[in-house]
Amino acid sequence: MGDHEVIGLEKWLKDNTGMDIYFWNFIVLMFFTLFEIGAVFFDKIPGTDIKISLMMVWAILIVVGIIKGYGIGAYFMHLKGDPGIYFKTAMFPVLFVLLMIFGIGLSNPDGVDGLPSWCTPNWDYATRR
Amino acid sequence: MSGYGADINNSIWMRAVLFAGGFLTFGIIAFSILGVALAGPAHEEYLAAVDEYHHAEDAWKESVAAGHSIDGDHHDALYIEMEEAHHHEEEAHLSYLNWRVSGNTILVMCIIFASFIGIGGIVNSIQPDAEHSDDEHEHHGSASPIIFTFGIMLFMIGFPGFANTITEILTGTNAVLGEMAIGVIGLLVIILGVSNWWREDLPFNGHGEQIATSHPFEGEHIRKAGIWVFIMSEIMIFATFFSSYLRMRTGWCTKWAFDNDMCDADATGYDILTASDYLRPSGAAGTGDFWTILPGGINTFALIISSYTIVIALKTAKAHDWSRPDNFMTKFIPLPIMKFVFPDQKRTVRNFLFATLMLGSLFIILKLVEWSHLVAEGFTVSTSQAGSIFYIATGAHGLHVFIGLLIMLYLVFKADTVGYDEENAQGIEYFGLYWHFVDLAWVLIFPAFYLY
Repeated sequence: MGDHEVIGLEKWLKDNTGMDIYFWNFIVLMFFTLFEIGAVFFDKIPGTDIKISLMMVWAILIVVGIIKGYGIGAYFMHLKGDPGIYFKTAMFPVLFVLLMIFGIGLSNPDGVDGLPSWCTPNWDYATRR
Repeated sequence: MSGYGADINNSIWMRAVLFAGGFLTFGIIAFSILGVALAGPAHEEYLAAVDEYHHAEDAWKESVAAGHSIDGDHHDALYIEMEEAHHHEEEAHLSYLNWRVSGNTILVMCIIFASFIGIGGIVNSIQPDAEHSDDEHEHHGSASPIIFTFGIMLFMIGFPGFANTITEILTGTNAVLGEMAIGVIGLLVIILGVSNWWREDLPFNGHGEQIATSHPFEGEHIRKAGIWVFIMSEIMIFATFFSSYLRMRTGWCTKWAFDNDMCDADATGYDILTASDYLRPSGAAGTGDFWTILPGGINTFALIISSYTIVIALKTAKAHDWSRPDNFMTKFIPLPIMKFVFPDQKRTVRNFLFATLMLGSLFIILKLVEWSHLVAEGFTVSTSQAGSIFYIATGAHGLHVFIGLLIMLYLVFKADTVGYDEENAQGIEYFGLYWHFVDLAWVLIFPAFYLY
């Protein structure tokens, strides 16, 4: 959120719409939130008979989460434009977060063979144990 | 003058006491309307619905006992009447909770806001004005964070006794007030530490910001580096909640998992209900509809909007030559409203910080209303692992929001008195980083716990 040079897309948006990147980021966040809730609220894609499956909901939630996370982190928290050390600081715990998520498999009391198949893709020992 | 920077008379702190009075007045009025005037009739309606349900239940049982109806016949007129009465009772209960919980929450929040800003104001206003010194541009360091942290340590040590005593007072059992002594002392130390911190920060006019002199933050503001390191630790805290949740969730046979063949081969049905089963329209509990997902949805929008309002506050504070915005959006807004929202640079900053405060408060109110509904429907912290992790994770997030609101109280106060400009707007910027992080955490919590 500090001062920075307005270039690229930010400059284009400012020049052509009169509104800065924060405003458009805000609009994008609002739109994707609506999209996210809609994905869960409807059983079928509105106006069609296409069922919204669990996998589709997951995909939507993950993709929307990444987009929203990027919007907040990059523009509102100004990681895009600030010195790289702040980005590195923000990313540092991600290593531990990944370790923790990896730990889900290791810490399951059922052992790795008790996990759902999608959690143990092609791990031979998952079926041998 | 106190602290360093601009000359500030300590009497300015009396304005904080006025703020406290304003919050208390608002809290009492809101409670009177929501918690009494609207909740009262709703409670009467709820009690009537309970009676109606009991009558219908008795009639059904008598009919079964007399052999006129068959137990388990769901097409029997009396059974249908009983089910409808039960449904009406539930709806009346939830309607009552809407008013009562929102009224109570606003009152309690306003009391806490008033205590926080009011005590801080009184403590600082009775301090003697410090002598003016020539080293005002040099940062003196501060003991306030250490005092504050010591207070938190005392409060946490005394928390079990504090919580027990509060529970005993609320439930009318014999309370031993001495048990909450350490907790209360901790709270007092926290308030004193925060008050002193405010007193030191209020005159800060941007001079004396400490710059890091060594790698890796060399040349950066130490406070900014500090808030990022703090956010780093916060990421770890929320990561533990997520990893715990994911770890447990992979082992649960929810309806969603069952329907998608992700349960054990010998599973005959789902065996656990998650919060989203109660909240989602297609959730397994059968209680979800548009209205149950609405509070979480509104809260998501409230946090995103609040992230934007604090950005506007910062942008306004940092503007060299501020003028009222004139773009395609503002053309649709009537001039009197524009003048009210954007009166001048100083008050525009205050208005947008205040809007952020209100949006954050709305988040807490809706959160507790939603919790009250879930508890009324039988989903509590002790229901299952799903209940525990839901309340712990969303509660921890709500606590972060609430702590943010307490800090924002001070930002609004400073914006209203001393004011923020391009020299001293770092306070908004650094707090904004924390607030955006809280928003970011919700971006993950909302889909994980409410939608999935």
